[in-house]
Amino acid sequence: MSAELKVSGLGKAFTAGRAVVDDVSFTVAAGEIVVLLGPSGCGKTTTLRCVAGLEHPTEGEISLGGEVISAPAKGILLPPRLRNVGMVFQSYAVWPHLTVRQNVAYPLKTRGLSRADMDAKIRQALALVDLESYADRSVTQLSGGQTQRVALARAMVYEPRLLLLDEPLSNLDAQLRLRLRDELRRIIKAVGLTALYVTHEQTEAVVLGDRIGVMRDGKLLQLATAEDLYNRPADLFVAGFTGASNVVPGTVRAHHGAFGEIETASGARLSAWLNEGTPVGERVMVAVRPENIDLVPAADAPNRVTARILERRYQGTHTIYHLDLYGARIEALEMGTAPRHAEGGDVTIALPPTLCWAYPAAEIAP
Amino acid sequence: MAEAAAGVLYRRVRNWSWTALLLAVLSFLVIYPTLMLLLGALTGSNPVVDGYHWTDASLDNFLTVLANPNVHAALGNSLIVCTGGTIIAVGIGLLFAWIVVRTDTPGRRFVAAASMLPLFVPPLVAGVAWSILGSPKTGLVNAILAKIGLDWRINLYSMSGIIFVFGVYYAPYVYMFTASALRNMDPALEEAAEISGAGPVRTLFTVTFPLILPAILSGMLLSFIVMLGIYGVPAVLGAPSNISVLTTYIFQLTSWSPPRYSTAAAVALILMLVTGALVWLQQRLLTGRSFTTVAGKAFRPRALRLGPWRWLTLALAVVYLFVVVVLPTLALMVAAFRKFLFIRDIPSLFDEKQYSWIHFQRLFANQVTINSIINTMEVAVVTAILGGLLAFAIGYTVTRTRLPGRRAVDIISTIPVAIPGLVIGVAYLWAWIGLPGGFYGSIWILAFAFIARFLPDTVKALSSSLMQIHRELEEAAWICGRGTLSTIGSIVLPLARPGVVAAMTLLFVLAIRELGSSLFLYSSGTIVMAVQLLGYYEGGNISVTAAFSLVQMIILAVLIGITNRLTRGAAAGGIGRSG
Ligand SMILES: Nc1ncnc2c1ncn2[C@@H]1O[C@H](COP(=O)(O)OP(=O)(O)OP(=O)(O)O)[C@@H](O)[C@H]1O
Ligand SMILES: [Mg+2]
Repeated sequence: MSAELKVSGLGKAFTAGRAVVDDVSFTVAAGEIVVLLGPSGCGKTTTLRCVAGLEHPTEGEISLGGEVISAPAKGILLPPRLRNVGMVFQSYAVWPHLTVRQNVAYPLKTRGLSRADMDAKIRQALALVDLESYADRSVTQLSGGQTQRVALARAMVYEPRLLLLDEPLSNLDAQLRLRLRDELRRIIKAVGLTALYVTHEQTEAVVLGDRIGVMRDGKLLQLATAEDLYNRPADLFVAGFTGASNVVPGTVRAHHGAFGEIETASGARLSAWLNEGTPVGERVMVAVRPENIDLVPAADAPNRVTARILERRYQGTHTIYHLDLYGARIEALEMGTAPRHAEGGDVTIALPPTLCWAYPAAEIAP
Repeated sequence: MAEAAAGVLYRRVRNWSWTALLLAVLSFLVIYPTLMLLLGALTGSNPVVDGYHWTDASLDNFLTVLANPNVHAALGNSLIVCTGGTIIAVGIGLLFAWIVVRTDTPGRRFVAAASMLPLFVPPLVAGVAWSILGSPKTGLVNAILAKIGLDWRINLYSMSGIIFVFGVYYAPYVYMFTASALRNMDPALEEAAEISGAGPVRTLFTVTFPLILPAILSGMLLSFIVMLGIYGVPAVLGAPSNISVLTTYIFQLTSWSPPRYSTAAAVALILMLVTGALVWLQQRLLTGRSFTTVAGKAFRPRALRLGPWRWLTLALAVVYLFVVVVLPTLALMVAAFRKFLFIRDIPSLFDEKQYSWIHFQRLFANQVTINSIINTMEVAVVTAILGGLLAFAIGYTVTRTRLPGRRAVDIISTIPVAIPGLVIGVAYLWAWIGLPGGFYGSIWILAFAFIARFLPDTVKALSSSLMQIHRELEEAAWICGRGTLSTIGSIVLPLARPGVVAAMTLLFVLAIRELGSSLFLYSSGTIVMAVQLLGYYEGGNISVTAAFSLVQMIILAVLIGITNRLTRGAAAGGIGRSG
């Protein structure tokens, strides 16, 4: 019953001229979990609510299982109640005047099922979220995690074509969040639902999603598997947002296939992954993750240099070195409880070219 | 050692003497009159002639009154008009709350203001205005209907007339409660219902209304309670067709000759018991679990798109405002400024030669009018100052000290919540009419009755402003070596001053509006505006009555404007409770 979700050119402006969601297109295959990730206010919730029908898009088209459910240009707008999607709200929005069972039964009642069918489905849904013994409790007597599971059961009980989740774990404490995010993926996969999941937590996105879409200022920057996202960020923002905190400015001097030769402020050259279309002489920013810097490089490793350690920050399980490198201040991370280098000393390192990503500086938004 | 013991003893005596003083004041203001009302209900005597004798108190008098068919009729009428009025009020209040909070109706601020405005119209003035509009023979509406050849007539001098006026003027009580409950409700709760497959109407009835049910019931009970204690509306609209409700019946009993003071006390006691039970129920609802209070969370407003229907919802608000404010004000103006109320034809309604200030001149030519205004101001000033100070003393003692006996102070000061103004009037009458010394018939008895009547609200308002002053500010002063009184003077009073001033101005406004208790306590020398207005009405001079109504509306509008400034918009809530 899960259906494919197709969003194309979606746009939403609350006040004319200021788009909160801007030309967002993506597809969620039937049974796939796609996570929308992005900083606060980037338009994730708005995108989700447009898909739910709770917000009216101003542009684009949304179709579910081949049926167009929203297309403002054609005047199509299916109300939420007819979309047959399930939604878990950030505040859960379980109804406090009803019991657990009544909450889960509500969507079935509006669908006019027979009593027996209804009971069976409720039992199944409650079993799935492990709440059978709480069926007749008032939801006001449940813990945060249990409330969240009631919301999930209510959203899934009628086998919706699509499940929408808006930061369902953000109201829980850290411990519970870790446990429930694995649980959540297991349940969604067990039912085989198509799911669109919104969060601003990277780790949550990586664990939960089959694919992750990174949003910024209403735009979808990249939609890819977690591995691609971490190893091939599409732009500097995605790189920075996913943790590539080091940025080295430089100028393109030559192309060698997929790689470019970048001259840095210190004059030293650096080989980095570079889009072939970037012309020689263009100013670029090279991003690299602290944990991808090789502190024990092989003798013939590319991008091998010696740098001064400006500062050492011991963190218990790992150590962060601030290096003076290529005329910039670069962080490198060393695992283990025993740091090998001292502050003020020199260290020889290497930057693996496949994990150094150069982006045109002009693309960077102010 | 002996010195320390003496110190402890001294402090204990000092603490007790403060609460004892407060308790004595409260006994004088609240307990003694209530006991006297009870005595009155249980005896058949007249305190003016016979004095007070607890010895002949027995249940018989009360039971006789209970068995009286006139009492049954009045009680029945009261229940019918209040129930009818409440149903209309709930319909209007709930509808406007929903329009304002949950729809995209244009001009929602205007709708919100319109929904609150009727609170500021004194019930007596509303009654007078609607009697000018809707009396069966000479009512302006009927006159106009006749001129334009319609066969349809309205008659406000009827049960349904009273129900109508009650319903439209007391809708704000339901509105206030339900609008704030809706505002505090997470819109996701309704969205979840929509996602689940429920349509707007189903969502409204299975999710929205059940969730704000405590607020609906609470507003409903409050409007019922207030209607039950109102004298002005049923007096004006019910009298011409001999419809008695409890309040008007009680007053009739005291104006017979000889006055039936003990029967009045018994009926007042019935009114008080019914009110008390309802107040108790309402308080329970308020403290009971409420689904919607999520403290400090601001929800993104959810506006249901009404499409073209949004013009209908706006129109409803315009019609409402027209019915409760514009039409009555126009009626009063026509009556007050026209030389003769008789309307020959429609054009004559716009003929300026028909209009003059003559009725105002006649109004102010009567010295009693001037006196009533002066008296009202005197009473209001005394009420505001003494009432404000007393409420501050009580509020401070209850919220800020651990003095012995403060619980008793707290409880006694909230008793008047359950006593309608009119019943306080009867109680004060019983308490003082039989005693020499001239207290009964002075300005002071009016002021004291008002202070007692409005004490719960004033204390509550002041307590909440006191609670906003952080304890540590006070403790800092103690650490600096200040004593309790010095701390209150130098820290608490200055910080609480806005609250105290606001409470005092609110008391001032309430005292000016008050009719129910004044009815039993004025004398020819101390007559107040509201009573004098009723006097003009009963004297049959509609034009002068209308003129005086306008004068009072203007005085009140100015004062409420000032109060609203001082209380940052809280005047509505303050006036709300007392009707
Ligand atoms: N109803 C609304 N009216 C006006 N502006 C809105 C409305 N809803 C959202 N916005 C604006 O749209 C932008 C995106 O909001 P959205 O809720 O989609 O962000 P988000 O990515 O979900 O952020 P968060 O992680 O904080 O939940 C914000 O700048 C917000 O202020
Ligand atoms: Mg959000």
